[in-house]
Amino acid sequence: MGNVIKKLMIGLVVGGALIGVTRALEFPVIFQMMFFAYAMLGAVVFMILDAPALTPMSGLKSVIVLVVFYIVLCTVYISGASMWPQYDPEDEKGKIAKILKPKFAATQQGKAEELIARAKALDEQTKALAVRLKALGGDQATKDQSAGGSGASPATAGAATGDFMKLGEEQWQLQECYNCHKLKGEGGKKRGPELDNIATYLSVDDIKQKILDPKSFMAEGFEKEYEKGKMPDKYKDLMEEKDVVALASWLGTFKNTSVNTPKPIKKK
Amino acid sequence: MKTWQRSLMAAFALLALFGGVAYAQAPGAPPVEFPYTGNRTAVWIVAQLHILFAGFILGAPIFVVISEWLGYRKQDPRYDRLAKEVTKVTVILYSMTALTGGLFIFVLLATYPQFTTWLINHFYLLFAVVYPLLFISETILLYLYFYTWDSWKGEKKARHIALGVLLNLIGTITLFVIDGPTSFMNTPVKAEGISPQEFLATASLWDKVANYSWMPLNLHRLVGNVTFGGFVAGLIAAYMFMGAKKDEERAYYDWMGFVGNLIGVGALLFLPFMGYLLAYELCDYDASICPYMMADQLSMFFEMQGAMIGLIFLASNYYIWLSMKRIEGVEKVRMTILAPIAMVLLPLVMTKVMTDYPVPDPMSLAFLLPLILAPFTLGRLIPLTVSARTVIKVGFLMVVVGDAIWLTPHGFVPTGAKLVAELELPSDWNFLALMPAKNSAAFTLVFVTVVNYVIYNRAISQGTIVWGKIDFASQFVLIFLAFSAIWTMGLMGAVRSLLRKYYHTYNLLPDFTAESFTPTLSYSAWWITGITVVFYAVVSFAIIVTLRPSDSKGHAPEGSPAPAGGK
Repeated sequence: MGNVIKKLMIGLVVGGALIGVTRALEFPVIFQMMFFAYAMLGAVVFMILDAPALTPMSGLKSVIVLVVFYIVLCTVYISGASMWPQYDPEDEKGKIAKILKPKFAATQQGKAEELIARAKALDEQTKALAVRLKALGGDQATKDQSAGGSGASPATAGAATGDFMKLGEEQWQLQECYNCHKLKGEGGKKRGPELDNIATYLSVDDIKQKILDPKSFMAEGFEKEYEKGKMPDKYKDLMEEKDVVALASWLGTFKNTSVNTPKPIKKK
Repeated sequence: MKTWQRSLMAAFALLALFGGVAYAQAPGAPPVEFPYTGNRTAVWIVAQLHILFAGFILGAPIFVVISEWLGYRKQDPRYDRLAKEVTKVTVILYSMTALTGGLFIFVLLATYPQFTTWLINHFYLLFAVVYPLLFISETILLYLYFYTWDSWKGEKKARHIALGVLLNLIGTITLFVIDGPTSFMNTPVKAEGISPQEFLATASLWDKVANYSWMPLNLHRLVGNVTFGGFVAGLIAAYMFMGAKKDEERAYYDWMGFVGNLIGVGALLFLPFMGYLLAYELCDYDASICPYMMADQLSMFFEMQGAMIGLIFLASNYYIWLSMKRIEGVEKVRMTILAPIAMVLLPLVMTKVMTDYPVPDPMSLAFLLPLILAPFTLGRLIPLTVSARTVIKVGFLMVVVGDAIWLTPHGFVPTGAKLVAELELPSDWNFLALMPAKNSAAFTLVFVTVVNYVIYNRAISQGTIVWGKIDFASQFVLIFLAFSAIWTMGLMGAVRSLLRKYYHTYNLLPDFTAESFTPTLSYSAWWITGITVVFYAVVSFAIIVTLRPSDSKGHAPEGSPAPAGGK
């Protein structure tokens, strides 16, 4: 028992010191707690090292102890895994549905389902029109149609541009470009260049070319990454043409000269 | 019907199943819906069980034949007995491998008919001809190897060992063959400037098999299987030790546990590097895989992996500690002071050196090799020594430090998208979460374990092992190691599979089902634990059924060592 108390005290002292040091170094609280936990793990390890020998068991007692041991192991592993932060699959489901939608539409099953959906929609529209015609008469219906048929207004065109940019930003999120590139102060792990000033160097067409053919441009200071082909050469197969244009157009709006975006060098 | 005949039939059934699968494709057949688990988890359970059984039957014969050879060379019957007992268990688990393999393909066809048909079509020759032929050859060789054990003795022993080598050769080829389609699903063939579909249409079977991650996966699984086999041998020994009624039996199973653990740990030392190689190749194939693994959806799976590997290393070193305690005269063993100094310096120096000279720059070796080798090369020149007990305790401290470095994440968030300052490492300390620090942690664990075995080796040369007198807690350590190794295999198997994201075959064949998302770590842990328990139950049953009767029949202790006093 003396051994346990001694090791426990040492663990608490070391853990407390680690909390003090990490607090002084401005580690977040969760990391301070983590370092304390490491100290306690060390204390437990040293308690076990100097623990007295276990009395041999046999027969039913050993079987019971073994079963309890397994139950403890299972509980510890399940609860241990459950204590880490959990990724919420709901965050991903919407993304996956959006990414796979055009691919599914291209399959036979997708085409068949789309035809059925269209047929259903047409059927419903026909029914609705028939009801309206019956209720209002033919003239009224014609007037209604001409009211909205004079072409898109400037406001509508602006909204369309806004939607297009929104689509570009959405592609940034869907393709998870933020995992390698920093933009607006978010994302990036230095795998790829920061892109806030990319429009100063590249036109929308150039950006589009870079996405479709990553070897077409090389950012200064990223020679090693370029040689290894770090930027995946897959977006021409994964993305729709309109999505690539939208992403390139959206990135083409970033002209923040205060950010040191490395200069791209044309290679192809 | 004899066991080998039954197993041969199982192998033929497997051949028929594979052949039948290729012919009995029914395009457009709607997939079945598994109740409760869903289709993906149903496939997961069966596939993981199959891989665990297959891993054991491929890994165990590697050290079985080495053990048999050692027994022959040293004229030590204990090695021969160990080899034979593990082979007995292998024979039973072989049938389970065939059974779960058949079940796996059946469940896969029922749940994902279009994808399965597509995959079989691409690897038709492998699935319908090469793999079944290899499986049948392995079945014949395994039973031949087992049933000729007693008759091919004396002069014929070399022939028997050669048969074991052939068995391993076929087993390894089988592993490499089935790794072809498996790795293809992660890293299908590709070429710059050509779409994957176009390239696949012109690719040969060899192109598809020899894909980016094929060889790293082969190596990782080969070493993993030996580790796993070694730990299961330790498990067998632990069960038998606990049930032993005579001192001779306890002495033998104590020895067997030690050897099993030695093999398991010996192979385990290479595993972090094999895993690193596989991850490196996957990231090289597609850089977006890397953040998905390490920074995003699967990052916490890697935290759990770190925790498990830390526990495994702690336990394996604790086993060495307990093993040392049963050596008479161990207190006289000393070691150069350079050993604990190198242990303490290693994580610091290695993190710095590997940051300046990242993998695969060989320049880092110029700094690290002298440090690692210093205790063994300069040790004799420096008169300062410390007791073995002190070195081991410093080692344990550094294992804890290594675990801490391995476990420290960049942020306590399941995805980089949710990172906020309150949950993120301060930028000055971010290096703790980067690969050089993780590599240094892995290497520290390996280095400490090697030093501990060097000390153990010195202890047995200066003292006397009292077999059978090991602390009873050691048997729980052996059981813990086997359980944890299997659990970790399940975890990393899930990670490798999930790396395909929402594709059956990465970037090539999308998974349009509603289950193509990343599951939570907690959900995965429940299933991994369940699968491990089922596997454990079957293995425990196999051990009891196979090895217990020999005890009740008054089995002649052919390989039993002297219980105490003998080395």
